[in-house]
Amino acid sequence: MVGAAGRLRDSGERALIRFLVRRIALAIPTLFGIVVVVFLLMHLAPGSPASAIGGAESGRRVSAAARAEMRRLYGLDRPLPERFVQWLGRVARFDLGESFVDRRPVSERIREALPATLALNGLALLLTLALAIPIGVAAGGRPEGPFDRTSAVMLFALYSTPVFWAALLLQTLLSVKLGWLPLYGVSSDAAPEGLAGLADRLAHLALPVTCLTYGSLAFVARLVRSGVAEARSQDFVTAALARGLSRRQALWRHAFRNALLPVVTLLGLLLPGLLSGSVIVERIFAWPGLGRLYFDSILSRDYPVVLGLSLIGGVVTLAATLAADIAAAFVDPRLRESA
Amino acid sequence: MKRLPLLFLVGFLAACRARESAVGAGPTPGSALTPTETAAPPLGFLDESKEGTPVEGGVLRRRLLGEPTTLNAVLQSGLPEQQVLQYVSRQLLDFDARLDLAPGLVEKWEVSDDGREYRLFLRKDAAWEDGTAVTAGDAVFTIRQIRDPKIPSPVFKPLFADADIVEAIDATSFRVRFRSADAMHAYAFALPLLPEKRYAGRPFLKVRENRAPLSNGPYRFVRWKTQESIELERNPKWSGAPGHFDRILFRVMPENPVAYRALTEGSLDETAIDQSLKERAAADRTFAACCRVVEFYNLDFNYIALNNRSPLFSDVRVRRALTMLLDRPSIVRGLYRGSARIISGPWAPDSPAYDSRVTALPFDPRAAAELLDRAGWRDTNGNGTRDKAGREFEFDLLGSAGSTAGRQLDEIFAAELAQAGVRARVRPMEWAAFVERIDAGDYEAASLAWAASDGNPDPYPYWHSSQFPPGGVNVAFYANPAADRLMEDARRERDPARRREIYHRLHRIFRDDAPVVFVVNASQKYAFRRRIGGLVTSPLGLYGFWPGPLSWWGRPDDSVTPESAH
Repeated sequence: MVGAAGRLRDSGERALIRFLVRRIALAIPTLFGIVVVVFLLMHLAPGSPASAIGGAESGRRVSAAARAEMRRLYGLDRPLPERFVQWLGRVARFDLGESFVDRRPVSERIREALPATLALNGLALLLTLALAIPIGVAAGGRPEGPFDRTSAVMLFALYSTPVFWAALLLQTLLSVKLGWLPLYGVSSDAAPEGLAGLADRLAHLALPVTCLTYGSLAFVARLVRSGVAEARSQDFVTAALARGLSRRQALWRHAFRNALLPVVTLLGLLLPGLLSGSVIVERIFAWPGLGRLYFDSILSRDYPVVLGLSLIGGVVTLAATLAADIAAAFVDPRLRESA
Repeated sequence: MKRLPLLFLVGFLAACRARESAVGAGPTPGSALTPTETAAPPLGFLDESKEGTPVEGGVLRRRLLGEPTTLNAVLQSGLPEQQVLQYVSRQLLDFDARLDLAPGLVEKWEVSDDGREYRLFLRKDAAWEDGTAVTAGDAVFTIRQIRDPKIPSPVFKPLFADADIVEAIDATSFRVRFRSADAMHAYAFALPLLPEKRYAGRPFLKVRENRAPLSNGPYRFVRWKTQESIELERNPKWSGAPGHFDRILFRVMPENPVAYRALTEGSLDETAIDQSLKERAAADRTFAACCRVVEFYNLDFNYIALNNRSPLFSDVRVRRALTMLLDRPSIVRGLYRGSARIISGPWAPDSPAYDSRVTALPFDPRAAAELLDRAGWRDTNGNGTRDKAGREFEFDLLGSAGSTAGRQLDEIFAAELAQAGVRARVRPMEWAAFVERIDAGDYEAASLAWAASDGNPDPYPYWHSSQFPPGGVNVAFYANPAADRLMEDARRERDPARRREIYHRLHRIFRDDAPVVFVVNASQKYAFRRRIGGLVTSPLGLYGFWPGPLSWWGRPDDSVTPESAH
């Protein structure tokens, strides 16, 4: 076996490089397609930055003529293709332009909101994996056993609980009634320094992270469970058990490793979520993140910010799926050959 | 503390009835109350400015529904900006609680005999927070920026569109000459100023001060954490009457239910609430122990705009019939739980322009059906919908998807119309898309809310026949030569009492012409921590006038004394 792998190494590496080049070459037109679609969707949708001014609560009527004048101020009277080429030209120079709303660079606005969303979604993802994998392995180890059944019911119950409802319920219970956790925000008004400051921030993270975690938990846990359950009945696990490995060793070393492939692929899809933010959770917890920025920018038709965020989202999604594919190719040589 | 506890009590009882099965345990401050009163809450104006002893110092924690887009007074466009700027940017003139213009940065102003020229004289002690004087140069600079076509100033641009000459007379006085004589020009000077020295020669839209304004008001800017909070502190250079709090902290909190929880938890002192939260508050013991509901009427109202140019609505008989098909008394009782008032013209009942003797058209489906018959709309093809000259009486009723109450009203209206053989299809739309259709006049019927941003009752921009879209905002395309003349007369009339008479005559015409379906003036609802005192409400709301929130003060804690609880 070992000798055969050595002989195959050269051709295997070449195959991997070919695979990578092809994947990256495919990613570029995909990204371009995403950008074109977002640009068109945004600009062809009814409404404009001028009509969104003031928001729903402001009673001021602005005449159509005054709005037309404002459209000119934003450069929106230029033909669509011209605006697209201009925007692409700027992007090529790593310039995302200026927000229509406050005239600050789009990159500055994104940088401002990025840390809050990264912290929130990063922790949520880690927590999801930390909980989902043991649950999935334990449930898949004895399919249809008592743990599998109870965990399935609970996971599906969690999965189908609307997040806005759960969030408000948790807030009422843990913040208002018991006063254990902060209700909203990223830190206290007078945030303490050092370790106490870190604790303060973690306390603020607790509820939103919980809300983001409980839904995706079911998804990942069930995926791991089905992978492990399937692998468990395979010959190599039986063989491992026959070699005298304990059930736990057989499950984690052999069955789980085999079930890892779909999880890695799934991670590729989950990682971009780190950046996209969650509008509902961020609004409920008054969290100053990218989800709210994106949502508000769409409502106010702040085209440069929406395009900037979509572009970054597109790049990250493509990079993550690429990374997942590569990881999968390392894990499973069959994918390399067929690519 | 006379009117408010009663308000709260009645509101509490009303909601108790609605939610008797509400969860709760233990003794409650509200449980001693027995339902004796079933009438609608007596909503009136609140003036606690003479009650209690104001406490100096502390922090007032207020709520912003959304993040301000700027703190440049000229560029402001929405409510969040206005709420923050009120503390830091003093205006030349202010609206007082009774909707009259009062001196602000200006100590007096004169109008020329021809009514075209305004001379304003700044107070000698008006100063910026860096100690320099507020000058006529600042005022002239500010108005010139507003008039600059390259600067988007949606609030102030229309007010100075007619200005001809803007110049300083000396260091503390300046004049503005308008092309036309119009008594409404005075309202343009409810205007905050920008410091010329910080803006001149720099890119106006990107100056640092746009996010860190230089104050000439009672408070000054401290910090702005994006999407989180804005903090203000006392301005030591302020020479007028100071506010009671040391600091003002605005929290950006988009969701109403969360703001409610923040209030009961104690990290917020005030928030706007809606009908459902008001009912929830009434059944919530935690709320009763710490907080109170404040409810009153302001100048906002809602109406269903009808495009008078459409062949469906060009006939006054049809428009009157539609008004008479909307069961407004039931809507007040059902949808608004009694806290709304039927209106019969384009003002709220507390506007001086509104004549309370003008009775609204009644809910009368039979008379309405007769009017539609006479206008030629009959169901000739027996399909259940009226028609005329081959056209069915059906139309899209547009509305903003964000407004739950508006949506419910639209559905009720559509159901009532259907019984009379008129088909309205309710079409909720996203806000920006909706506004674009309305302001272009590209619709047949639309459910709209009027949010009065100041005390100017001038109907001219919204109802005069010279103001059709795209140039103007008479989005109903209403035209009546008699009404036009009265609107012109009102603008020329400089005596407020006589102007009021003209408005009252106009009101009758609006009622009879029914250019749109006027619906109701609904109450404004807020919740406050009990520690906050000195509240004053006005037809301009809690904030939209001077001194507004500057009269508020707060005890350090919420210890509830028996008197303050009931």
